[in-house]
Amino acid sequence: MRIVIVGGGIAAVYLANNLKKQNSSLEITVVSDEKYPPYDRIHLCRLVDGTEDLSGISLTLNPTVKLELNQKINKIDRQNNRVFSDKAMFSYDKLIIATGSLPITLFNIENIKNAAVFRSAEDCQHIRLGVDSREVVVVGSGPIGLELLEILNEMPNVHNITLLLRGKHLYNTNLSMDSIKIIEECYLKSGKIKISYEDEIEDFVVQENEIRSLKTKKLDIKNPFLIFGTGIRPNSENFRESLACGKGILTNLFMQSEDENIYAVGECAEIQELNFIAGHVKECTLQADCAIVHLLGLEVKEFKLETTIDMLKVGEFDLVDVCSPKFSCGYEKVLISSKDDKRVDEYFLNENKLTRFIGINSNVDVGYIETLINSGDEVDINYLYQNRLIGERGRLVCSCEHVYHQDLVTLVTQSGITSFLELAEFSQAGRVCGRCKIMVSDIIKESQHLIDPNMPRKSAEDIKREKEIAEVQKRIDKFNALHPRNNLTTENLNSAMESLDIAKHEINSWISMVTANMQLHPSFEQVVENAVCNLNKVPIIWLELSDCSGNSEAFIKSTNPAIEDLIFDYISLDYHELLMSASGDQSETILEDIIKNQKGAYILIVEGAVPLAMDGKYLRIGPKGETGLELLKKCAKDAALVIAVGSCALDGGVVAAYPNPTGAVGVAEALGRNDIINIPGCPTNPTNIVGTLLSYIMFEELPPLDKFNRPLWAYEGRVHDNCERRGHYELGEFVQEWGDVGAKKGYCLFEMGCKGPYTNVNCPTMKFNSGTSWPVQAGHGCMGCVEVGFFDKYANERKVEDAQSCN
Amino acid sequence: MRKVVIDPITRIEGHLRAEVEVDENGVVQEAYVSGQLFRGIEIILKNRDPRDAGLLAGRICGVCTNSHFRAAVSCVEDAYSLKLPKNAEILRDLMAMALFIQDHVVHFYHLHSLDFVDVTSALNADPELTSIEAHKYSKNPFGNSNTHYETVLIKLQNFVKAGKLGPFSNGYWGHVDYKLTPEQNLILLSHYLQALKFQTNISKAVAIFGGKTPHPQSIVVGGVTSVADMLNPQRLNDYLFIIKEAKEFIDRAYLPDMKLIATAYREEIKAGAGRANGNFLCVGGYEFEGKQRLFCNGVIYGHDFTKIEEFDENKVTEEVDRAWYSGDADENEICYTDLNEDGTLKTEKNDDKYSWIKAPRYDGKTMESGPLARVFVSYSKGNQLIKSFVDEFLTETDLELIDLSTTVGRNCARAIETSYICEYIFKLVSRLIQNIKYYDTDTWCKYDFNALPKDTKGRAFLEVPRGVLSHFVKIKDAKIENFSVIAPTTWNATPKNFDGLRGAYEEALIGIKIEDTSKPLEVLRVLHSFDPCLACAVHIIDTKGKELSRYKLKTL
Repeated sequence: MRIVIVGGGIAAVYLANNLKKQNSSLEITVVSDEKYPPYDRIHLCRLVDGTEDLSGISLTLNPTVKLELNQKINKIDRQNNRVFSDKAMFSYDKLIIATGSLPITLFNIENIKNAAVFRSAEDCQHIRLGVDSREVVVVGSGPIGLELLEILNEMPNVHNITLLLRGKHLYNTNLSMDSIKIIEECYLKSGKIKISYEDEIEDFVVQENEIRSLKTKKLDIKNPFLIFGTGIRPNSENFRESLACGKGILTNLFMQSEDENIYAVGECAEIQELNFIAGHVKECTLQADCAIVHLLGLEVKEFKLETTIDMLKVGEFDLVDVCSPKFSCGYEKVLISSKDDKRVDEYFLNENKLTRFIGINSNVDVGYIETLINSGDEVDINYLYQNRLIGERGRLVCSCEHVYHQDLVTLVTQSGITSFLELAEFSQAGRVCGRCKIMVSDIIKESQHLIDPNMPRKSAEDIKREKEIAEVQKRIDKFNALHPRNNLTTENLNSAMESLDIAKHEINSWISMVTANMQLHPSFEQVVENAVCNLNKVPIIWLELSDCSGNSEAFIKSTNPAIEDLIFDYISLDYHELLMSASGDQSETILEDIIKNQKGAYILIVEGAVPLAMDGKYLRIGPKGETGLELLKKCAKDAALVIAVGSCALDGGVVAAYPNPTGAVGVAEALGRNDIINIPGCPTNPTNIVGTLLSYIMFEELPPLDKFNRPLWAYEGRVHDNCERRGHYELGEFVQEWGDVGAKKGYCLFEMGCKGPYTNVNCPTMKFNSGTSWPVQAGHGCMGCVEVGFFDKYANERKVEDAQSCN
Repeated sequence: MRKVVIDPITRIEGHLRAEVEVDENGVVQEAYVSGQLFRGIEIILKNRDPRDAGLLAGRICGVCTNSHFRAAVSCVEDAYSLKLPKNAEILRDLMAMALFIQDHVVHFYHLHSLDFVDVTSALNADPELTSIEAHKYSKNPFGNSNTHYETVLIKLQNFVKAGKLGPFSNGYWGHVDYKLTPEQNLILLSHYLQALKFQTNISKAVAIFGGKTPHPQSIVVGGVTSVADMLNPQRLNDYLFIIKEAKEFIDRAYLPDMKLIATAYREEIKAGAGRANGNFLCVGGYEFEGKQRLFCNGVIYGHDFTKIEEFDENKVTEEVDRAWYSGDADENEICYTDLNEDGTLKTEKNDDKYSWIKAPRYDGKTMESGPLARVFVSYSKGNQLIKSFVDEFLTETDLELIDLSTTVGRNCARAIETSYICEYIFKLVSRLIQNIKYYDTDTWCKYDFNALPKDTKGRAFLEVPRGVLSHFVKIKDAKIENFSVIAPTTWNATPKNFDGLRGAYEEALIGIKIEDTSKPLEVLRVLHSFDPCLACAVHIIDTKGKELSRYKLKTL
């Protein structure tokens, strides 16, 4: 597919790189009207005072993307899918317009020597060369304007700067006077800067392409250098003829214009439905994400307005602005200000809900503020006051990645990172919108002395895993909190285990086995152990329906060591309907109690098929003669998780084998649900049941499942592929009849009707009865007992084709 | 007259229920036992290749799993008159015997012992006195030391402290029918905990030759498949080692514990509590040496141990008058008459159907089968091997043979049998080693399936842990035309018939006095003593059907 992206800024580069990431075979051309390869506009200031040249702020474009510079697109031929510049024509399958915005000026400044906007690398050079020994006049005080002001202030060849403001405010009309005072003070300190509020240009004199003088409402300025920071408008001029435009190019929520092959992303686009034009890098990248997946037909993802975070660090003050899309002018404001610290926290409330926060030199945890805004909860004002002091992670540095000061320091000291470049492997901080890149670099530099040269370095992988483990531990702690009625601790568990004469090393080996079985890294062992300790916090109901008790039997008997028994018989027995001891009224009421009082918190394990014929009366349970189906429905309704254990619970198993006299079905079918986890087997290996339960508790979600809802980690591998007799298969060495020479030598059982090639389960590696044996080891071969309908397909000792001809 | 509902009794043959009627003194006057699940495995077996019967019929029960597997294969072999190689028979026996041991130990300690043992009382035991007490029943008691009992005590206390009594929670502790001293309770509890470990180990013995358990997968028509395991000396050694460990436990813990209970509950034994009608059935089997068998076959009527009839399989019949089948030509035709509206059994008229369990009869009579029947028949027929075990037990407990026909006695018979079986296993293994030593490594008898008769009949009668198991097959056009099963529980839990005769469960319940109708410990004891292999909840209702309380049976 040929994709043409028009534009040369962050949005264009982000689009190109991420499209390539999705599909490296895409043919992508970026067409930019700039002289220079794409660079980061956020850091333009660094070009003004010459602290950085263009290479320092350049953006990395995927090298397989074709880049066309100096090509201003001025025409689209929608019919033939082509675009034209003055010099060239580009054909596309999909076109993405990301031309960004244009600055607004009060009058045409083209060809005027001493007037500039602040939008491109060329503008910077113009400013740098032009300001020398002139009186600089900056119009407007948006975030970038404020940054520029700071840079100019530092430049030795600049002596006088006037900031011309139409209103009474710096930065934003919503800012309080307290905040403005602090900002103002910073600027006025050096004596170079004058701020003229409620002022605007009334007249000017131009001679020989040079503004000789300016007259404002309040001032007369001779020999000025005028910089406009008054605002921007979408750069959509050249597309107005070919595409429907409002202020920008009109798009739907997938960033698609009226032409299905043309998308518009970023500041040039106007989402019609939301009446919205992006103003933040974050919004542009979100739009780009929506456009990419839509354009490639991957998924449907609508653009949604999100809470934005602006951060600005200028000279002696820093400013953070967190703003919800729900923010509106009719707000109430809570102001917490400290004169001594030159600190102001401004909370904007709409209907008692926090919608915006602006902090000047604030200590508040910005990440927390963001969650508070997103939660939409009513805010307790006292709490805001208590919250004014900083958390242990320090200040938020990167709002895109939510990386805090202390996070970076820890990363640096743990992994010995020495530069921004090296950080890339560990964190994307400073790399998404790029605004905080300098700050991140500075922190890395500042924390170099903290690196202990003797400490072993942690790799990015280590850190990722540590994070996962911490997450899991958090969930386990949460379970602890959720189920306080069981006051069993690790110590108690140990003593309970000891009383069953299970040695610690056996517990450890069992835990290692479960960990390995679940395909987790060995470092998960500790959390697995913790999960084991906490498994009993989740009430478990085990129902037996139309079954043979084989799975219960397997579950309580054939384990390695008897710790599974321990967990379910002896620790969680209170909630285990079938295995618990005599208890009079309690036993029945416990079932009722769990269903009623533990809604959504208990796990239901079902063994056996559900007979549906004769109104389900082939199975009656309980004093009222409830049918199996009625009981199942009652128990399943409010269960957090329903696990169907054994083959009968999967699809009716042996009970549903032809001619299925009792109309038996599996649990999922009986309940008409597709979210039942199946752990089939005849019987199911108990390790797989325990593993699934642990996995649920650790990750609080279903493990990855296959199309029959079987956990992949147990049912992914084909028996044939992992079979101990596979070597003989490859060599063509087969058992030809029971007890022959091949049987004595352990040859392949394929000719004897082994169904290993059609069966997916971990029997060859897990085996049964504490690893004692499994059917193939016992010389019989697999009968596919984990597969749907196996009793009619596989439960025999003949090859599949022979068995069919037999029947 | 009030009605006590025990419901559901589940697990082995499906879901069971029992209802008993008690008089004003709480004495049971009438009892009904009912199966509440129908799966139709026999129907499913129809029209299948006879060689597939084993894998499918094995699924009748996951507890006596290899019993059904083996019986189904055996009856097909019988139909084809296949003669098994000796080794195949031995390997099947080795699996069966390991199952006997596992089942019996788990049954007593984990399913039944808490009907006799009061956990809370054990907390008051004195470890030193406990150790002395244990010596009364064994010269060398298992795990017997002051410190061991102290640790068990501390661990028990920890259980209590942790708020987790585990298997001991919610029992009827303090019931007047708990008769053991704190020290005796502590002995049994310590063995209870040790038996947990025991049962996981012993199940490995089945898996060594079976591939896995439950539902082993190594038996095929004509032999067994685990020949490689048989030829591996390490596997044989592993098996033997597990059995040796088991024997230690049985001789030093299980048997002494039965002696202890028999002594403590002497009064109940002498009163004949839990005695059924005295008809016993044993089909015998398991080759010992030459013509000698582990169990003798025979039939006893009304506790008359002097007259033992030979077992005659032609006298076995199956009736369905009061089971949910039509009694016409095709016995398998379902005729479900439902329950009463309040969920109780329809038992008012003497032809009301009330169970999925069919009614097997021997010569028109109901029979008790199981370890007790095996011990009675073998002993009475002069089986010298078992006689020494039984006599030793009876002498030490000062009981007579008839006393074993009680709730406690049934357990004693089971323990005696377990010890006896261990001896037998050593014999079996040495026979196997002899065979292998002399190059007899056959495990399968060769046959050409297509050359076998197309129309034939076969049957298998086996003694399995809970009693007599029989499978019957009729083959037509090389397909199964009909398959029929009578399981041990079918004999013992049979419904009444047109004759009104009670089965063993029903009969044993008659005359039992329930001290406290909200805590029918006595009923549970009786039912558990048959090793019903099922979990059940007992619900007591009065004649109007109002529920008074419920009781949970702790069984497998």
